[in-house]
Amino acid sequence: MKKFLILLLVVVAFGCAKKYVKPAEEAPKPAKVEEARPQDAKKDVMAGEKVAPMAAEAKKEPMTLPKETVSVKEEAVFKDVLFDFDKYDIKADARAALDSAASWLKKNSAVKILVEGHCDERGTNEYNLALGEKRAKAAKDYLTSQGVSASRINTITYGEEKPLCTEQNEGCYQRNRRAHFVIAK
Amino acid sequence: MKEVRSQKSEVRIFLSVFCILYSVFCILTFAYAKVYIDITSPALRKLPVSFIPAGQAEAKEITEIVRNDFDFTGMFSPVDANIPGAEVKISIEAAVSGQKVTASVAVMDLLENTEILKGKYTAEKTSLRLLSHHISNEIFKAITGQNGIFRTRLSYIANISGKKELHLMDWDGHNDRDIGSRGLIVSHNWSSGGDYLTYSSERNKEWGIYLLTLANYKETFLFSSRELNLAGGFSPSGSIVFSSSRDGSPEIYTMNSDGSNVKKLTRSIGIDVSPAFSPDGSQIAFVSDRGGTPQIYLMNSDGSGIRRITFEGNYNTSPSWSPDGKWIAYVGRKEGLNQIFIVNTDTGDAGQLTDKGNNESPSFSPDGMFIALDSDREGAKGIYIIHIKGGWQKRITPKGMRAATPRWSPYLK
Repeated sequence: MKKFLILLLVVVAFGCAKKYVKPAEEAPKPAKVEEARPQDAKKDVMAGEKVAPMAAEAKKEPMTLPKETVSVKEEAVFKDVLFDFDKYDIKADARAALDSAASWLKKNSAVKILVEGHCDERGTNEYNLALGEKRAKAAKDYLTSQGVSASRINTITYGEEKPLCTEQNEGCYQRNRRAHFVIAK
Repeated sequence: MKEVRSQKSEVRIFLSVFCILYSVFCILTFAYAKVYIDITSPALRKLPVSFIPAGQAEAKEITEIVRNDFDFTGMFSPVDANIPGAEVKISIEAAVSGQKVTASVAVMDLLENTEILKGKYTAEKTSLRLLSHHISNEIFKAITGQNGIFRTRLSYIANISGKKELHLMDWDGHNDRDIGSRGLIVSHNWSSGGDYLTYSSERNKEWGIYLLTLANYKETFLFSSRELNLAGGFSPSGSIVFSSSRDGSPEIYTMNSDGSNVKKLTRSIGIDVSPAFSPDGSQIAFVSDRGGTPQIYLMNSDGSGIRRITFEGNYNTSPSWSPDGKWIAYVGRKEGLNQIFIVNTDTGDAGQLTDKGNNESPSFSPDGMFIALDSDREGAKGIYIIHIKGGWQKRITPKGMRAATPRWSPYLK
């Protein structure tokens, strides 16, 4: 059992392990996040939702919600909150969307919501379920910190089990790393 | 409903075969003195074996399955019976009587001209595969002195046009069937005797932990909370380890197999998930991001003595114990892809077992010689078996079928 041929080689190859994942994962992020948006818009057009001119993208509430959305009018308030790979902290550029969601929730105090946490396919299934839960809870915590009652917000994780898209590229991975909001009926 | 009924009748057939196999027909003569293949040897030499069917048509079918079993292990090279070179000759003769098949098996050592095994095995005609795998086990034991894995099975999640189902198949990929599709099912694990599976399932926006009795496919609810609850493995005494976020963050817990006696073992603000009992039940491996990135940790089964065992890379998850408890296979992220690694729990020696595509969800065979995993190396994710000494790998789910997270059963009765 002891002589695994590759053992030593791997230990050597791993010497500089700390360096390899981080730069690769994080350096290209800002550019790639931008890429994801036009794709969202395109997908909605293809999905047969209201054919909006590309300018609609610049509006406050782009229609980035998936088809199963029950009431688009209400849920258009809730933009997906996107996360970095293997991270569950709310990024600075996600705060504006969460702030407007929080103020809408405060105006519509009878509404309860479910926050779904999702991941891209690159992580492993079980860890992604835990990560998705952390993402959903991070979004919930942000909303409660803005004065929304915690009792109005439930969370669930789907990890990588219910992806929005299945292409193997960063644009798709980014769309899947999200907290998604659904109005509870 | 129809499906459930057919599964039940299959169980009945299984049991009757089991009884017959161990009845008076089994006349075995083992010769243990000589070990023909040392399966633990690092430089594995393939033993040349010839397979000769005789008698009724079923003999050919049985011989083919046995031959595939032996070929599949990567330890034997089947050779043509008409060409010299074989060191072991396996003759299988079949006789059919009514609904029953009797196979007479003789295994000869051609170098010393001695009989290694002689036996008769009877089963229902409808259970030819089971009978054949049983014969493979008997021959394998006679040749290597070790238990064969030819009657083991794997559970896994099949993705049938977007719908995920819990499936069970024989170790060679045959005899595949759906055993559960009530809600989304994840993190399934075998009990140490092979009688039960635990898993987590999402129903009505809640992740609950369930127990499936394999004899009748009856499902029992064990544990739930409003948060994420993920089933882990069993201890040899039947405790179940799992993770739950019921107190806010995913922590490791144990409970009895009826859901009682829930005990919390870890307390950290980050993620603690994917727990697995060591085969002797004394330790628990799990994944934690308490150090900043997901890594594999060990602790004693009461939650004391937590220590980290993976140090290379920033993403190490999905620990699976070898049956002797000396090694843990896990998924490590390297150069942007997931690969299977193993680490020695005592010495910390580590090794990489895969390098093509993404490879995830390692699960050891009960003899410790193979690891089942899922991989996208040929496109859609499928289930593969690899030899732990490397070199030999084989896909066992059909090409194009989306299949993931295999869990290898223990030896089955």
